[in-house]
Amino acid sequence: MRITRSLLAPVLIAGLALVSTAQAAQFNWQQFKGTQLRVLLNKHPWQQGIEPHLKDFEALTGIKLVAEVYPEDQFRAKTLVELTSGASSIDVFMSMPAQEGLKYMRAGWLQPVDAFLKDPSLTSPDYNWNDFLDKTREAMVVEGKLVGPPIQVENVALMYRKDVFQKYNVKVPTTLDELEAAAKALNGKPMTDDGQPGFGIVARGKRAAATSMFAGMLYAMGGTWLTPSREPAINSEEAIKAIDLWGRLLRLYGPPGSENNHWYEASSIFSQGKAAMYTDANSLFPVIEDPQKSKVVGKVGYALFPRGPKGQYGSTVAVWGLAMPKTSKNQKAAWLFMQWATNKDQVLKVQSERGVLGARESVWKDPKGKAKVPSDLGESLMLGSKVGTPFWNPPVVAVAEVRDAVGAAIVTSIQGGDVRAAANKAAADMKRIMAETEKK
Amino acid sequence: MPPAMADESRTGQMSAWVTPGRPTSAWSLFVETHPVLVFTLPAAAVVFVLMVFPVFYTVYMSLHSWFASSLTAPEFIGLQNFKRAFTQDERFRNAIWLTLYFTALATALQVVLGVSLALLLNRPFRGKGFFRSIFLLPMVATPVAIALVWMMMYNPTLGVMNYLVGLVGLGPYKWVSDVRFVIPALAAVDTWEWTPLITLITLAGLATLPLEPYESALIDGATPAQMFWRITLPLLRPTIMVALLFRSIDCLKTFDIIYVMTAGGPGFASETLNIYTFQVGLFYFHIGYASSLLVILFALVLGVSLILIKVRRGAW
Repeated sequence: MRITRSLLAPVLIAGLALVSTAQAAQFNWQQFKGTQLRVLLNKHPWQQGIEPHLKDFEALTGIKLVAEVYPEDQFRAKTLVELTSGASSIDVFMSMPAQEGLKYMRAGWLQPVDAFLKDPSLTSPDYNWNDFLDKTREAMVVEGKLVGPPIQVENVALMYRKDVFQKYNVKVPTTLDELEAAAKALNGKPMTDDGQPGFGIVARGKRAAATSMFAGMLYAMGGTWLTPSREPAINSEEAIKAIDLWGRLLRLYGPPGSENNHWYEASSIFSQGKAAMYTDANSLFPVIEDPQKSKVVGKVGYALFPRGPKGQYGSTVAVWGLAMPKTSKNQKAAWLFMQWATNKDQVLKVQSERGVLGARESVWKDPKGKAKVPSDLGESLMLGSKVGTPFWNPPVVAVAEVRDAVGAAIVTSIQGGDVRAAANKAAADMKRIMAETEKK
Repeated sequence: MPPAMADESRTGQMSAWVTPGRPTSAWSLFVETHPVLVFTLPAAAVVFVLMVFPVFYTVYMSLHSWFASSLTAPEFIGLQNFKRAFTQDERFRNAIWLTLYFTALATALQVVLGVSLALLLNRPFRGKGFFRSIFLLPMVATPVAIALVWMMMYNPTLGVMNYLVGLVGLGPYKWVSDVRFVIPALAAVDTWEWTPLITLITLAGLATLPLEPYESALIDGATPAQMFWRITLPLLRPTIMVALLFRSIDCLKTFDIIYVMTAGGPGFASETLNIYTFQVGLFYFHIGYASSLLVILFALVLGVSLILIKVRRGAW
């Protein structure tokens, strides 16, 4: 008996292994062997993480990759110019659908991938689409069509000084009321290494740049960018409260000059130990945890953005993803690349090697996936990316222009001006801009 | 006898251009007979394609409405863009005012400081060459790098400026984050960088001043102050006007330091016409409207230059 048992186990395991390899082997990665794909990448931690592995894709599929990398500004300009020309030879490009998705979709430049994802001959059975955190999948949908898989996710989060909160016995805020109370309580308290006082809170206040973080406040208050009938809602009572609170926090408990602070200035103040709280994208953690530049390494907690008066979540779910142009002549091969770049193995590699915040839940549950990221960041990211809002940008065609209009109201609020009048003006501007740019 | 041979015998210089013994083509004949046309053509073509054409195309586009990404063709709307700019667009009016304010402030500071520095450096003293070189350094530096450094100095929390004014009991100020301070603070950066240019031009002017008026002034018993106001300054006026012309044209279209330091903020408090046009054209993609703003900027620069040139001629 004993012999049989000990023999049986390996046989069973071998059998199971055979079954699973057989299943995986059913999927034909080599079906587009000999194709060449042109991939346009933005200079970004994900791109740096995936590049060393691109040769694995070529070996697996026999598809040749020509990857081009540009710094963000040039990358956006190049993609736009090529797509506008209508004769682009791009097969896959990195894209943030909340930034340019609607414009590109309405212009007819994006090839939806819903059909590819559903096709068993094109999508490997172990791809597991539902493994991507709920709202990261939603964030890749534009006008009801899936434009590609997400490759990186970030949320507006609350970063706070664990040591300062403990020292002054203040509860880490989970609601907006508690956020203001904590900012007030900690403002002016000694908190730097040499006992200098710091600010209660720091965040972006620079016109358009502030809006993507303010979106968290807007949604937590119960506001939205647009009504369901696509009318501007930035002057709703909830939105006005949100604009008012963002400005009030920075005016009363934030650093002077917040009106000009982008993430770079804000994160500098926080990493110099001069602020107790910082609301910004959690993907900034490498800046804050960099021992070369930061004085608060290991002292920072990463929490969900505080919830609103009715318990609404304020996390934003901002994703970078991959997309393919309609003009690509190798769409199915391009889908194979998208799929390979976002399958569990690749996401795990990039996340465990570089600390890139991936969008797959299974990777976040894998100890290797957590290794390079603070543990509370991983947990808040998983929750935030399931319950947050993908609308970190107003869902319009002219995103940059509308962001400037809303940003002007935020600046007015920081300066202590008339918030209601500023919100009404922003709404009027939004209406005009949308009328001009969304004709037809 | 082929015509080329006749040419060769007639103009000895040209013989070097013609390969001996080879029949000359009609093209080389054309070159020989129309040298002015042929040799200026490449330069004229470059100027036309890269300078004349874009100017006229911008004027043409300024009469159209074109949202670049909608894939719809530009639509002709006459002078609507200009009408909108002057009657409906608050950001445009704000931008015009800020452009003039910045230009007036920066050029005035630069001229006063630049001419004073030139007069100082024009006297003989030890280490003159050394100080001259030092004063020219800001002009050599890259504007974007300068802007980044000043931005750090102006930082209300971490920067050195508040520390410095604190030493004399002032501040703290918010500098470029303060609506009232932002244009003077930016003008200070521009002044720091470009005062040496005015110094340089004025020094050149000082070197060419004739000595005779000073000699007769000395004989007549004029004081140094009288000599400065009655002789040096009037003689320098044309030179200063040239420097002023250069600087005001440059200030009207300043882009780099403002864009890097504030990008037009806080709010729109430092959004000059060039910054606004850049936003409208390359961030909002309203190509037609941006073109009309550029035409207005062009007219503004041209107008200011013409006025200054007229003033200079009058002074001559």
